[in-house]
Amino acid sequence: MLKDKIVAKIPGTRVVENGTIPTFAVAPGDYRALALFLRDDAEMLFDFMACMTGVDRGDALGVVLLLESTTLGHRAYVETMTTDRERPALPTVSDLWETANLNEREVYDYFGIRFSGHPDTRRLFLRNDWVGYPLRKDYNASEATNPARLESDESPDETVSYREDGEKETRSLFDDDEYVVNIGPQHPATHGVLRFRVALEGEIVKKVDVHCGYIHRGIEKMCESLSYQQMLPLADRLDYLAAHQHRHALCLCIEEALQLEVPERVKYIRTIMDELNRLSSHLLFWSTLCMDLGALTAFFYGFRDREKVLDIMEETTGGRLIQHYNVIGGVSADIHPNFTRRIKEFIKYLPPMLKEYDQVFTGNVIARQRMEGIGVLSREDAISFGVTGPSGRASGWACDVRKRRPYGVYDKVDFNEIVYTGGDSFHRYMVRVKEIAESLRILEQLVDNIPAGDFAVKTKPVIKLPEGRYFKSVEGSRGEFGVYIESRGEKTPYRLKFRSTSFPLVSVVPHLARGSKIADLIAIGGTLDYIVPDVDR
Amino acid sequence: MNSLYRYIVNFVKGLRSLLVGMRTTLRVFFRKKITECYPENRKKLVMFDRFRGELVLLHDSQNHHKCIACGICEVNCPNSTIRLTSEMVTDAAGKKKKVLVDYHYDHGSCLFCHLCVRTCPQGALDFIPTFEHAVFTREKLVHKLNREGSSLAPKPVAENLTV
Amino acid sequence: MFDFSVITQWIDQLLRGALPDAAATVVECVLIGLALLLGYAVIALALIYVERKVCAWFQCRLGPNRVGPFGLLQSVADMIKMLIKEIIEIKHVDRFLFGLAPYIVIIASVAAFSCLPFAKGLQVLDFNVGIFFLIAVSSIGIVGILLAGWASNNKYSLIGAMRSGAQMISYELSIGLSILTMVVLSGTLQITELVEGQADGWFLFKGHVPALIAFVVYLVAGTAETNRGPFDLPEADSELTAGYHTEYSGMHFGFFYLAEYLNMFIVAGVAATLFLGGWMPLHVPGWESFNEVMDYIPSLFWFLGKVGAMIFVIMWFKWTFPRLRIDQLLRLEWKYLLPINLLNLLLMVIVVVYKLHF
Repeated sequence: MLKDKIVAKIPGTRVVENGTIPTFAVAPGDYRALALFLRDDAEMLFDFMACMTGVDRGDALGVVLLLESTTLGHRAYVETMTTDRERPALPTVSDLWETANLNEREVYDYFGIRFSGHPDTRRLFLRNDWVGYPLRKDYNASEATNPARLESDESPDETVSYREDGEKETRSLFDDDEYVVNIGPQHPATHGVLRFRVALEGEIVKKVDVHCGYIHRGIEKMCESLSYQQMLPLADRLDYLAAHQHRHALCLCIEEALQLEVPERVKYIRTIMDELNRLSSHLLFWSTLCMDLGALTAFFYGFRDREKVLDIMEETTGGRLIQHYNVIGGVSADIHPNFTRRIKEFIKYLPPMLKEYDQVFTGNVIARQRMEGIGVLSREDAISFGVTGPSGRASGWACDVRKRRPYGVYDKVDFNEIVYTGGDSFHRYMVRVKEIAESLRILEQLVDNIPAGDFAVKTKPVIKLPEGRYFKSVEGSRGEFGVYIESRGEKTPYRLKFRSTSFPLVSVVPHLARGSKIADLIAIGGTLDYIVPDVDR
Repeated sequence: MNSLYRYIVNFVKGLRSLLVGMRTTLRVFFRKKITECYPENRKKLVMFDRFRGELVLLHDSQNHHKCIACGICEVNCPNSTIRLTSEMVTDAAGKKKKVLVDYHYDHGSCLFCHLCVRTCPQGALDFIPTFEHAVFTREKLVHKLNREGSSLAPKPVAENLTV
Repeated sequence: MFDFSVITQWIDQLLRGALPDAAATVVECVLIGLALLLGYAVIALALIYVERKVCAWFQCRLGPNRVGPFGLLQSVADMIKMLIKEIIEIKHVDRFLFGLAPYIVIIASVAAFSCLPFAKGLQVLDFNVGIFFLIAVSSIGIVGILLAGWASNNKYSLIGAMRSGAQMISYELSIGLSILTMVVLSGTLQITELVEGQADGWFLFKGHVPALIAFVVYLVAGTAETNRGPFDLPEADSELTAGYHTEYSGMHFGFFYLAEYLNMFIVAGVAATLFLGGWMPLHVPGWESFNEVMDYIPSLFWFLGKVGAMIFVIMWFKWTFPRLRIDQLLRLEWKYLLPINLLNLLLMVIVVVYKLHF
């Protein structure tokens, strides 16, 4: 009935039902009307844009949105295509879902599609003097089109937006008398090569302009020419603190497409590894946040304990940060004989340390005042910006994929979804601190109950996914991580898109930091806990 | 009066939280330190045996390896780290056979994804847990994995292959 | 108790015997200057080493352990590195002010250093408004920091310098008031007399409650005054990379670095002098034999020991607390420390007037 209502409302809609999520394809003219209807109608309420993917179908360029309703739970793809390859233009939806703002810039950067009405049409990841649009299928990737340039790329102070009639409007980003400070790409508090241009008035932040792309590796483009086994190691390198979870999502997506059932033992091992990964990520979050706020001693406490988690993972997987453990159909090796013993020791070891963390940092009056009431993100904004994970849950949005669409053995374990309602930095911090304890609880329930069986099922040496589109998401350490694959039945994907967890987190920084102090910008960035390689991909 | 009371309570609470933190750090001050004294502890330092340090072609004591130069690892490597050079040799029985000449491995561009080891039909490859790989130039990271004068192990393999 | 003035007077007489008066004075000045600078450098190096060790121990690390036994020569090695490092010429800076700033900082701190009573009879400057002079010269350092930030032509440096200005001017008040509280108790501004006045008990015990409050306030304000954590906003490394000394390199940076450590020593030294009796040994009235034993410990050790304890506390602060934000920093001063200080001064006056002290 969902589709009947949509077809009744927008008559030109073409409905494709292939797999679990229906697709609604419309002409560009109807695109905005459909988007508005889907977002606002009482039976639709698609308020969360999970993913926006640009696609080049050869004859047409366009976008595929994956929308989800946080209240009703249903999902739908919305697709719109334009055949104009010279000056492709689509209407913007950046005013309907805030997360579309940066996503449409990404699509412009990769495919050259202009979104009329979008306030800020600039390249996002690539240099401003980049020739061509790399994810188009007819892109010439030769060295001659884009030689390695040695001169620095000036960042313009102006941006353009396109009206619906194709007219160009120029707007300057900063006023002449604004004190613009460059934070990043080399800066201790940006956690990687992220760059903010910040307009200040004294200590107060007036505007933040995000610049990404300093660690852009074109992983999505690379995946289009790699076989499914070969692209697995690239997934680990997106968010290096959630390497295992990201690879888990990719494997799940491929397994779902192949309709491959993995043994129960694999599910247990994968779940345990996911939680270990989450522990290590949250411990690192705690440490680096303390360091950002100036408590350097606490930083070392966190790293000391994270090292133990890494040791447990390394003994089984052979890698510390990048584990390469999940493979299609299972895991690459059985768990090490010491694995369960070490986990049990760790479960005993950590709680007293967590108490110390609280004494040194959580309870500290300075830390509390630095975080409480700083960078408040409302629930509506969290959904609109697509801020998932601990940051979304701090705003009162119960967005845990482990609860919403359980995978692995999350449906068999008993754990609480930590949800706070304040949405400020302190609650973002508290969600993560409490999740450390929840992860320990999950581990405790699983570690003794790993069933016997194979650690992998045999797969064919050459994997071809059946034609269609597939989306699978897991709860990464800092939000919903999704993999979207469009396959044409070949041994490489036609289009592969990673729904990054950190990308929405970065897009929300300008919104949160406006009007706060420089030191708050650091606290906001620290508690959002973005990982830059995951932003840039 | 109420605000004065709050003022004092907040002050005392804040002071207390600071003292609690100081107590904890002082406790850690007298605890055993966790610094690893590398390289003094080199002898005791054992990596986990699954740790992927670098790729090796396994050889036995007779300098035999198991590589039949089929090239599956080369095809599978996502980063073109492996390059095989082989030649056709006619053996004594007059049969034509592919023989490995050079197993070229660029350690610097290896992703450590384990795909070569997992797909090798002969089990000729493995990763070893070495970790001191720092060198001064990138060229030094390019290795030839088959040893000088080594050859394919005759069937059946007489002994276990080791590093 | 050994009196160092015996040595100084002997040198003085020796020089005056051999040279005309004016020449002797010049030679003495040069000698004292050299001794001061030498002491300054040695103390700074020792402090840098101690800080690294203490910080490492708080962080469950070992700290420097490679250069020399227990890493003892680490800071010497660093000093040599700093000395031979190039001073980078930066475009678009005001070269004169940029070069001047580190010298102002270091001169202010050497001048304050010279006021400290290291041991009985071992003090360079001693006159009737000594403690007043000390506060005055140590505040000159702020000019150097402001100049450094301004002349660097760097936005980070400028923000750092502005923060530093706001911070030091605010906390100067608390330092001044808590010192004033102790001056009320002792009734003198002269440093030697301040120390002599504690022969029968340290001011911290004699002045009991108001002295204790003044002591805590002084420690907090003193930490802020030296730009050390948790008050290290001017150089907040996670926000401003290095604040006002971002653009400095080589020995120019070295001067800022030395001055930071020496200022810590000075703050600790003043705390020891005002509250813990300076070089005075611990005397308990009535315990004559105990007091005699205490007198055997040389006064220099008493002073350095007390300063060391104070420095450890200041380091303990730094390596436990997160950094404050600029508004919290100012709120702490104006809403908490200043009113407490003023009330405390009043309390001290009452205590002194009604002779409630010991």
